[in-house]
Amino acid sequence: MSLRGRRIVFWIMIAGIIAMGVVLFLHRQQARGRVEHLADDLPMDAPYTNEQPVTFAVANDDDGTIATTTRQLALPTETTARARALLDHLAAEYALPGSGHPLQPGAAVNEVFLVPLPVVGHAVDSSAAAAGAGEHSATVLVAPDPATTVNPQTPGGELAVIDLRGSFVNEHPSGVEVEMLTLLSIIGTLHANLPQIEQVRFLVDGRPRETLAGHADLLRTYPSRETVTRGTQSSLR
Amino acid sequence: MQSQPKLPLTSAERTRSALASIPALPFNRTTIVLDPGHGGTDSGARITDRTVEKDVTLALAFRLRSLLTARGFTVVLTREKSEANTPTAPFMPLTLDDRAGMANHERASACLLLHATPSGTGVHLYASELEARTGEVTAGPWLTGQAAWVGQSRAMANEMGEALTRSRLPVVNGAASVRPLDSLTCPALVVELAPLSDDAETINDQSYQQQVAQAISGALVAWQTTAQAPTRLPAVLPGVENRP
Repeated sequence: MSLRGRRIVFWIMIAGIIAMGVVLFLHRQQARGRVEHLADDLPMDAPYTNEQPVTFAVANDDDGTIATTTRQLALPTETTARARALLDHLAAEYALPGSGHPLQPGAAVNEVFLVPLPVVGHAVDSSAAAAGAGEHSATVLVAPDPATTVNPQTPGGELAVIDLRGSFVNEHPSGVEVEMLTLLSIIGTLHANLPQIEQVRFLVDGRPRETLAGHADLLRTYPSRETVTRGTQSSLR
Repeated sequence: MQSQPKLPLTSAERTRSALASIPALPFNRTTIVLDPGHGGTDSGARITDRTVEKDVTLALAFRLRSLLTARGFTVVLTREKSEANTPTAPFMPLTLDDRAGMANHERASACLLLHATPSGTGVHLYASELEARTGEVTAGPWLTGQAAWVGQSRAMANEMGEALTRSRLPVVNGAASVRPLDSLTCPALVVELAPLSDDAETINDQSYQQQVAQAISGALVAWQTTAQAPTRLPAVLPGVENRP
């Protein structure tokens, strides 16, 4: 091959190498773009809303009332996390110096569970053929007891089961009014922000407990409702 | 001539026949149940550095018992000592359900749950928050037994509130869910004694407690003639068939 031919081949190979480099670079950029796009959709942190006005039903021991207060807060979008965050913010409000309903600082709630209404259960079906060894027994759906259960007022109505912390309950001041104000404040705050909650029940460290601090009933199911009337007065008095 | 086939009863007819067969239970118009709140290891609220709730409620219960007995009532106390133990098993602590059971067995014309608080002033009267039911279900749920009596309880609260106001005592009249109020099957109220003034020590003032006890016992004298037992409803609701 002549010298001119060798030069032509050389420059063609150089051009091919450069072209391949450019192609590889573009492919790499595209692959990185795809990965970054996927990473944007993955939940790295719990999703929060932007700061928005949140209504709290705040109790006042001086006159036995519950009044609404609005705060700008970012809350989780997931409903149970949102309910828990609301109650944690409410407890923090009462722990502030000069609070009208002073409570010990610290978290008040272990967890909030939302259960669709009406609550149904399962029982072993005695009419089904006896199960053999190692087999599961047949079960039937148990309808709610009409005498004790309130049906949902609207489709999608939920029961909120609030698991209070033992430390919060044990440090709570004792008295009919002060205990009822705490419960009404919790119920009113949930009602204002999560209208799908129709009923509220309480547990303490995962177990039923008779009273909050010797008075207010923690065994009953409370209807979720507006606990503030005429802007300032609660239903307690 | 062929006899007509017997048609099944409608739900309204079933209700009427069931109601006709269940007469309203009589109650003892001259019996009053007093439940001095707390007791034993449960001291209740701390009123002052030297006073706890369980002692104030017991002192008020003793004053009320004296005044009511003098007016011809039979008074039943759920506890008569600082300790709160069951009568049948003296070493077993008295539960809130035990207190409700003792009260319900008396079929009294009034059941008063006595409490005390350092906050507020005067006497706080609370009736149940339950939604009123038109009649008493023969086998109703334990936690809502008061529902049939809520109307009577509110009427008694009004009468007692007026008596306390006539005695120039501050009164708060409201509704609350206090254990075991909702399980009581009698006209029932929570009577919470607060100090007379901003000084919490005034809750121990004997003349103040006597004034409160006199107003309450006077109201109960008037109440015993107006109290009415609710009608009784069958346990099986109309329209709901019995399971085989």
